[in-house]
Amino acid sequence: MSKVLFLMPSREYVLDGIRSALGLAVENMYAYGCVMYNDLNELAVNEKDMKEYHMENVEWLRDMEGDCYTLPEANAANYGLTQTTLEELGQKMREMEYIIPYGIMRADKS
Amino acid sequence: MKILHVMRSAEINDDVTKLKEIVSADRDNVEFNLDVAAPDYGKLVEMVWEADQTICWW
Amino acid sequence: MAKSIGIFVTSPQHMRHVLGVTEAAVAKGAKVKVFFTWFATHLTKCKEFPKLCAMEGVDVSICVDSYKKAGYDIEDIPAGLDSTKMATQAQHGAIIEDYDCYLTL
Repeated sequence: MSKVLFLMPSREYVLDGIRSALGLAVENMYAYGCVMYNDLNELAVNEKDMKEYHMENVEWLRDMEGDCYTLPEANAANYGLTQTTLEELGQKMREMEYIIPYGIMRADKS
Repeated sequence: MKILHVMRSAEINDDVTKLKEIVSADRDNVEFNLDVAAPDYGKLVEMVWEADQTICWW
Repeated sequence: MAKSIGIFVTSPQHMRHVLGVTEAAVAKGAKVKVFFTWFATHLTKCKEFPKLCAMEGVDVSICVDSYKKAGYDIEDIPAGLDSTKMATQAQHGAIIEDYDCYLTL
């Protein structure tokens, strides 16, 4: 089974990146995502959608032996994403067969 | 393991630089810059074929 | 021997690269599959999109859910595609499983 990691650096792509990772998990791949910069609370999604749809996608990912990591600490505290560091993320990437820089980089490249 | 790094932008931020460094460590790495007026796509295809893994950075 | 190439298109910024890589790969005898997702589905409105779809040995499909979320009517099938190519993320899985090489653009 292939191991795939989505890197998600911009707000318009974070939640769809999780959905896309889930799409590979249901195709019997080990799928992972990492939120690089955004606080999920700042995304234009209402709380109900976030909890009942998007966070459910994260749970599905975990059920299928994948995961969703976060660099910003707020997403671990508020939504239970798995906290990681840039160094740890790089090490995880070395284990992957497919690395997907998803969407576009934030305009400010911060 | 041979990794092809495709750079979609000539400018990358510090985090991408760091991740690229970690992924590249102790491996055979080659790079192709897409952020030019007329990329040699034929050469890129050959490089993709020769690589074990291709990462298309932003 | 030419290896097959799958291209997962997630950015709406790189149509010229999608075309360029696909044309070069086809010229070398490769089979190519291109799957557009999320805001990359805007690229279906580029004038080059039907040309991409018409290339010999090239399989093009899009995520229909993304197309809808990007604001389009799913009955408005982009020129060059038919309803069977208005697909799901399973197409991405097919790229990974069935193609020799993988690119994200």
